[in-house]
Amino acid sequence: MIFTLNTGRTIQQGNNVEMKYHPDYAKEVSRCHMNPLDMLDLGVMDGERVRVTGPAGSVVMYVVQDETVSHSTVFVPYGIYANQVISTETHGTGMPDFKTTEANLEPTEDSVLTVPELLRALGGMPYVA
Amino acid sequence: MLHEDVVCPFCACLCDDLKVETDNGTIVKVDNACDLGNHKFLRDDNHRLKEPIRRTPSGWTSATLQHAIDRTVEILLGADRPLLYGWSGTHGEAQSIGVHMAEVLGGVIDSTTSVCHGPSILAIQEVGHPGCTLGQVKNRADLVVYWGANPIEAHPRHMSRYTTYTDGFFLDRAFKERKVIVVDIRRTQTAEVADEFILIKKGGDYAVLSALRAIVRGKSDMIPATVAGVTKEQLLRIAEMCKKAKFGAFFFGMGITQTQGKYKNIRNAIELVDELNRHTKFTLTPMRGHYNVYGFNEVCTWMTGYPYAVDFCRGMAFYNPGETSAVDILTRKECDACLVVASDPAAHFPKDAVRHLGEIPTVQIDPYPNTTTAFCELQIPVAVTGIDAQGTSYRMDGVPIRVKSILNRGYPTDTDILGEIYRRIKEAKRV
Amino acid sequence: MSELLIRHACVVDPVNRISGEIMDLAVRDGRIVESVSDRAEVIDAQGFLTMAGGIDSHTHICGTKVNFGRYMSPEDMRAGRTLKKGQMHSTSGYSVPTTYGNSYRYATMGYTAVLEGAMAPLEARHTHEEFMATPLQDTMANVLFDGNWPVMEAVRDRDVKRVAAIVAWVLTAVKGFAIKITNPGGTEAWGWGKNVTCIRDPVPYFEVTPAEIIETLIRANEILRLPHSVHLHCNNLGTPGNYSCTIGSMDVAPDLNKERQSLYVTHVQFHSYGGTSWKDINSKAHVVADAVNRKPHIVIDMGQMMFGKTTTMTADGPMEFNLYKLHHNKWSNHDVELETGSGIIPVYYSRKSIVNSVMWAIGLELALLIKNPEQCLLATDNPNGSPFVKYPEIIALLMSNPYRQAEIATLPPETESRISLPAIDRELDWNEIAMMTRAGQGRALGLRKLGRGHLGLGAIADIAIYPLSIGAIDPSKEYTRVIEALRLTRYTIKNGKVIARDGEILSNRNKTTIWVRPKIPEQHRMDHDPDFIRNFERYYTVRMSNYPVQEAYVPESTCIETEAVW
Repeated sequence: MIFTLNTGRTIQQGNNVEMKYHPDYAKEVSRCHMNPLDMLDLGVMDGERVRVTGPAGSVVMYVVQDETVSHSTVFVPYGIYANQVISTETHGTGMPDFKTTEANLEPTEDSVLTVPELLRALGGMPYVA
Repeated sequence: MLHEDVVCPFCACLCDDLKVETDNGTIVKVDNACDLGNHKFLRDDNHRLKEPIRRTPSGWTSATLQHAIDRTVEILLGADRPLLYGWSGTHGEAQSIGVHMAEVLGGVIDSTTSVCHGPSILAIQEVGHPGCTLGQVKNRADLVVYWGANPIEAHPRHMSRYTTYTDGFFLDRAFKERKVIVVDIRRTQTAEVADEFILIKKGGDYAVLSALRAIVRGKSDMIPATVAGVTKEQLLRIAEMCKKAKFGAFFFGMGITQTQGKYKNIRNAIELVDELNRHTKFTLTPMRGHYNVYGFNEVCTWMTGYPYAVDFCRGMAFYNPGETSAVDILTRKECDACLVVASDPAAHFPKDAVRHLGEIPTVQIDPYPNTTTAFCELQIPVAVTGIDAQGTSYRMDGVPIRVKSILNRGYPTDTDILGEIYRRIKEAKRV
Repeated sequence: MSELLIRHACVVDPVNRISGEIMDLAVRDGRIVESVSDRAEVIDAQGFLTMAGGIDSHTHICGTKVNFGRYMSPEDMRAGRTLKKGQMHSTSGYSVPTTYGNSYRYATMGYTAVLEGAMAPLEARHTHEEFMATPLQDTMANVLFDGNWPVMEAVRDRDVKRVAAIVAWVLTAVKGFAIKITNPGGTEAWGWGKNVTCIRDPVPYFEVTPAEIIETLIRANEILRLPHSVHLHCNNLGTPGNYSCTIGSMDVAPDLNKERQSLYVTHVQFHSYGGTSWKDINSKAHVVADAVNRKPHIVIDMGQMMFGKTTTMTADGPMEFNLYKLHHNKWSNHDVELETGSGIIPVYYSRKSIVNSVMWAIGLELALLIKNPEQCLLATDNPNGSPFVKYPEIIALLMSNPYRQAEIATLPPETESRISLPAIDRELDWNEIAMMTRAGQGRALGLRKLGRGHLGLGAIADIAIYPLSIGAIDPSKEYTRVIEALRLTRYTIKNGKVIARDGEILSNRNKTTIWVRPKIPEQHRMDHDPDFIRNFERYYTVRMSNYPVQEAYVPESTCIETEAVW
């Protein structure tokens, strides 16, 4: 199902912004907040996982039930997971479509990757102390 | 030891009334900060890099500061088109050196602005900025509008220091006298405390702003029954609240800079505020994110003429966001080296831009290991501005405050490291 | 020890009564001395015009609103680009240059000291940061008090000593140089979107009038014995008919100082309009000039407008909003809590516009009708009237009636009946020009006795040598040569060191920031005043301990301490 992906700041995301290798960070920014009616339509429950596919690629996130989210949109705290699907197109403004990316969501059994796994997939070498 | 009037180096509220208690080199207590500020101070110890690190094929190893600086200088001098990115999390004196460096290298310098309030600046460059300092709002505003902004999550003390909950000189019982309007596509926590919440359909901000402008100009007849999901009745009510206010303050965030229309939304908001100024007093303030992102815009402007995304390859400053902004430069694989200072693009840029960071020599100057570290050849840890480094920072309304250093953890500052790198580059280029 | 000998300089130094005499100037360790040894570096001035370094007593180059003007106008930035070259940084900006742009352009034009026209105390740190990035001029800041809450309350309570104590605290805290009042009371009214109509119009809530603010601050200024007088931008800037307000403001000023003026009224061109609307606007410069001629305790600057594109920027928020409504151009505004305001809007002054033509004439009329050039200084309220790089053209206009007539001929014919310029044939001479561009400023700013604005023994060796043999040309006829020569010095010397030569910058840094620390009796200081402290912490959004500008912002500092007469 197609949804508009909305990303934004949250307290938990901000609290962990200097600790991106910490599981709290991944937990916060891999959460896809969905309206309960949309969850029903999609056939997912709170805590289950969805594969989110956008113009740049696809990533698995956890579903979080959230009545404040409007129908046919999802909200994901701003961070590395959302950026797996958002394209680099800035329409000549320098600003990517952080709040207007159309993404396809479907329920999945695939796991949510960790931050180090995401980094490796891009060719990075996650820091290990 | 108790430090008073400490300045919080997290968001652009730049609260300067924190009380921080240190004991034997550790921060043990913080008062007056919000959750974000608390975390910044109290968790600082735990995960700083102890020394520079260097990436080898088999993993990360430590490096001497000398080697790190030598190698950084080598990388920058060897590049045709280096990108110097970030800057929002450090003090102005360091940002200044960054701009000088970009000039002498003929490279590109950009800040997190381009993925945050860059569109606001683009709009300001079209229609200007009818603004004020936050104290004007605190002392006078009887109407506050948060449009596409969620201060409770992103600027937690904004409402208690500057708007909704704070007393003002001209408002006796501010909380009762002030009205708050919140506009968003979802019912955020900030919306919960609004007197009037406007739930807008995604992408509908431009149309709603236009509708409000039309109403303010006396053309309500042309407004249809709903605009982007908002009823005409609510629009009329909002417009009336704005016109009847003695002083209205409009704050906005990523909700309109990052959505469809980007800077055109902001332009429309500015023009609405301009129009309202013909009826009453109205001001507009972008809710800047990082505590010193505006500082970079200020420094970069007085030095180069432009607030961000400045390209020096022609021997003078050239500005063209969309072309000279970081995401675009990385996406086009145009830069052949990158220095990242005080920000974390690997988490905050779309992934295809991030990939290129790993394909070119990238160095990061940052106290903490972060996602960008994974794409670096080197990272040099430095003192944290506001904790063990001091310097100038600009609040979201342009007020400059000197951020303090309350501890010494034995790290060099951004200014120290960048200063040394710049000196060596100048020497090599015989400037 | 460093020594410099300038030979064959054609010195014009009205303060020391030297009027085009070919002589040598000896410099040691940055000061003019009687003679130097043969180890001195020698410069041959070739009989060229040599004056003290220029001093701009009112220019907007550093601070919050200036920077607003820059970043909102990328088109202005692109219109004035220069490449980096050697140790010179690249620059941008036509009417609002970057700090290096301003510094290099002033330096190559022979200007060695500048007074920033307006600095809001809350944002002083920003101005000082930009001062640090203006490496080749001595810098000073006018500190805005027009809408200052504690000051207005003390004025209302008729407590001039309290006003003095507040001013002393603020000037010291922000490392400012002088008291500036811009549209007194109007900037506070603008906090509500209102304005004041003239000097007797009370400020909303505070119930003081602009006249009271002006007069009390003048008295406080003299109690504190500050080097400069109060510096006033009158109410009603730009409004047809405003000349009476200007004269009324001047009438408010008592004569309290023997060494210099008691009131400096700035950019008076914008305040000398007759008529009732744009349709019948005319010049009242002759009336204003007459008033100045009768008041030796007043000094003004021209605020000359020149045709072309520029950016207006002032603390006069309501005025800028009016301009916005007139021009429909992009408009920025920035009100500063408890203190003042500001507005910025780009403009284009057109030769085809009768209004603009009248404005152009007025500035020149003021300079030509005011008898004593010490009382009418040359300035354009840069960039409001025009960018400062046009000073040479203004000088040429003042020295040449044919040039003026040629310009008048290009204006709309309806202009002539509204101005008196066509009938004025006075041509200023080099002494008068030197007075209007450096000597007069030295006196007005209280810096003459500290060695600025002249070339006498002991003076600071800030020297400008222009490639012009004044004995060999007639400025009245050869005005284009005058303009050419005054644009670029052969040498600009700062503190005895050559910093510019034929347009090339030869120094990275040579400057100081001049500020004042007025000392008042300890028990009256605001540091100990419970009301001041309580209100500060309640109404400002910055803590009092974080407000003062720290030492780090003035690495080169010249602090003038004064003892208040209490």
